[in-house]
Amino acid sequence: MTDVLQQLVNGLSLGALYALIAVGYTVVYGIVQLINFAHGEIFMVGAFGSLTVWLVLGRSSGSTSLWLLPLMLIGGVIASVGVALLTERLAYRPLRHAPRLAPLITAIGVSIFLQEFVRLFYGSIPGFPNARSALPYPQIDFVTGPALDLGGVVVQRAALFTLVALAVCAVILYVFVNRTRLGRAMQATSQDPDTSRLMGINVDRIIMVAFALGAALAAVAGLAWGLRYTNVDFRIGFIAGLKAFTAAVLGGIGNINGAVLGGLVLGVVEVLATSYIPGTFGGSAWKDVWAFVLLILVLVFRPQGLLGARVVDRA
Amino acid sequence: MSRPVLVSAAAQERHGGHGRLAALVGAVVLVLSGLLPWAYSFEALDGMTLPVNPSPLQVMGMVLGLLVILGLLGPRLLPARRGRLTVGWLRAARAAGLGAFVFMLLIVISIAAELGGLVNVEYGGWVALVGALLAFAGTRLVAPGPQSTLYAARTRAWLELLAIVVVMAAALVGIAYALDNDDAGLFVSFLAFAGALLATLSGLGVMAWLSAIAQRRRQVLILAAFVVAFLFPFTQDGSDANMSIATQVIIFAAAALGLNIVVGLAGLLDLGYIAFLGAGAFTAAVLSRSAFATLDWHPPFIVVVLISGLVSATLGLVIGTPTLRVSGDYLAIVTLAFGEIFRITMINLDGEAGPNLTRGSNGIPAIPDLTLGSFSFGRPHELLGIPLGRFSNYYFLLLVVIALIILVFSRLNDSRIGRGWVAIREDEKAAEAMGVNVFGLKLFAFAGGAFLAGVAGAVKAHQDVSVTPDQYVFLQSGFLLAAIVLGGMGTVLGVLVGATLLILLPEKLRFVAEYRLLLFGLTLIVMMRFRPEGLIASKRRQLEFHEDDEELAGRIDDQIQPSAALKGATA
Repeated sequence: MTDVLQQLVNGLSLGALYALIAVGYTVVYGIVQLINFAHGEIFMVGAFGSLTVWLVLGRSSGSTSLWLLPLMLIGGVIASVGVALLTERLAYRPLRHAPRLAPLITAIGVSIFLQEFVRLFYGSIPGFPNARSALPYPQIDFVTGPALDLGGVVVQRAALFTLVALAVCAVILYVFVNRTRLGRAMQATSQDPDTSRLMGINVDRIIMVAFALGAALAAVAGLAWGLRYTNVDFRIGFIAGLKAFTAAVLGGIGNINGAVLGGLVLGVVEVLATSYIPGTFGGSAWKDVWAFVLLILVLVFRPQGLLGARVVDRA
Repeated sequence: MSRPVLVSAAAQERHGGHGRLAALVGAVVLVLSGLLPWAYSFEALDGMTLPVNPSPLQVMGMVLGLLVILGLLGPRLLPARRGRLTVGWLRAARAAGLGAFVFMLLIVISIAAELGGLVNVEYGGWVALVGALLAFAGTRLVAPGPQSTLYAARTRAWLELLAIVVVMAAALVGIAYALDNDDAGLFVSFLAFAGALLATLSGLGVMAWLSAIAQRRRQVLILAAFVVAFLFPFTQDGSDANMSIATQVIIFAAAALGLNIVVGLAGLLDLGYIAFLGAGAFTAAVLSRSAFATLDWHPPFIVVVLISGLVSATLGLVIGTPTLRVSGDYLAIVTLAFGEIFRITMINLDGEAGPNLTRGSNGIPAIPDLTLGSFSFGRPHELLGIPLGRFSNYYFLLLVVIALIILVFSRLNDSRIGRGWVAIREDEKAAEAMGVNVFGLKLFAFAGGAFLAGVAGAVKAHQDVSVTPDQYVFLQSGFLLAAIVLGGMGTVLGVLVGATLLILLPEKLRFVAEYRLLLFGLTLIVMMRFRPEGLIASKRRQLEFHEDDEELAGRIDDQIQPSAALKGATA
């Protein structure tokens, strides 16, 4: 029993990471029907943003005290939101009425560009380490350290931090989307952009809010990722982005609750597949394959996703 | 999507005369400067140190100057008359002026970079730069004038054939010249010259005329292109250095053409295309006579090629069937995921994490060269006394493969299937309502593209000698996509140009190699923003990407029906 519980906890904490990133895909898709391939890279930029804050403030003294954590979070959010808004303004907005292929190709370009930009130029900041290989991520007191033992179930502190972060973000997100004017304007735009424009909603601004919102959550995920895996690398956005997209589709793309649920389910499925699929195809070497097979299965049998707000077929 | 305006139309009206004069003076200065020394030492570029003895690059600068003069004086020499075709003289002059300036800027920068500092630019170089700047600024002040209607010209058959021969010969000489030089500055400058020349010709209207000829005399053109491609190895004197690049270009172009069927014709964004190429390559490797091959069955190569194609096509069907029913965006991301699945699976089939098929990340090395009867592709041969190396042998084989793919591509494009794809691309729902079998045609494009990739992969496995999973990763798919987007979606020529540029540039410009991927990403973004139809556009694609550009629609309409345009010009 504790074994199953242990796997469940592992799965949920992994899934929380996916969920935080998946929200970004879903919010943007819900409003502009664009799969923002570069969102994985926005997450990566967030992780590097928070690392930057530590390199500036904490590295010289070797400090790992807790007060650095909120500053790192703010640094990450500024970096990822800034980059997301920049890509929206410069790359996606001019293509809003172009054929669907155009923004998709642009998104690939942005994704490759951001990866390479970080790889080539992060080390050019004076005193910063070269980002061509993985960089160690600082371990902050209290949120990392010895694992907690809850009646036989071992929980890493970073995993707990991820789960708490997701819970807090989900509450804030819920309040924002349902209780504020801006959030309701966002819902309206996602339902019918033309009518919302007639109702006096500034659609361009709403789209920017959507990009910023997704990027901010991705930055939280970036921080959580760094604490959990103890290093970051310019490539982390690729697989994490793919997984998060899978989560968004699993939950029903365009549906924010769905993204959170999809992320958690995907995390649990991945962990369970790793430990319970018998034979040679079970080990961790195959876990990514199972996650993507799940994506294909969802598209075959339930393309609208688990909570499915929107019919997928919008060619 | 408007172009940036440097000088307003009103200013052009006012200062046109001054601009013309300034540009003429600048151009004459540029031409004369070719007789002066440009650089301080022979080390830079192609040695431009001697007075009254212009080097090839200096001659190119002089040619650009002459083109500016020709464009500016053209309207005087051949005044426009009713009923006569309009020639875009001033447009050509503007293009040549811009080209000359960029060209000279690159030359000066290269001299400075290669010799260490601007001190090494001799007075002649500065004179040329000032002349080019004057020509550029002056031509900006001149109004571009009317669009050329040269494309509607009715020319004699022998002239058209001659034009094709001249173009092809120029292409062969140009490519051989560019490949012959290892100097980065020289290569870039030459590229700028070639670009300026093409832009000038396009301003004159010659390019539109050539493309009209190309449409009328398609068979001749394709035949000529293959003759040129066939002759290329004979210009290399048995050296394998450039032939290795050339085979890379052809393999890359073959894969990109296959992908262009999927992306350019059917409009499906396939981001895992490289995995199909990899599937073909691994199949061929596993069935080869390599000592490391894991299967003990070695059929003849022609059978292997077919099996490789079929394996890839089957994978295409497996991926395509579920995803092609939902919208196109999903296909993009599922193919991306498939690419990852493929890579991970190939790494895992190493005998530890799974059954041993591919030997994991080591891949399968030592794949033997192909043999055809007693002809081994690995050994150098001699034809008519001209030595041909290993890569030349593969080059010829690959020419056959790429010819096959081009044949499939153009036949499909002109067929009922091709028209079905156009309909799906432009409006899927309308196509379905008109009775087009949307799902079937999409699946056909997807699996067909995969088949061609498998065939290309099988040849690539033998040419590369070894096959490893890390040759077939997402970035390679992105690279292929960049070639298509840069060259032109849905055109054969565009993809060939795109593939050539993307392979040649990093190969010749070592300092770019590091920033290669960064520049690819940027290329994708910038092309989608400013010229989504690619450098060499398919007319239809161009219209699709600029739906609300009425002027463009009218122009394309004219070019499709030249007689109507001529009537418009005479009326």
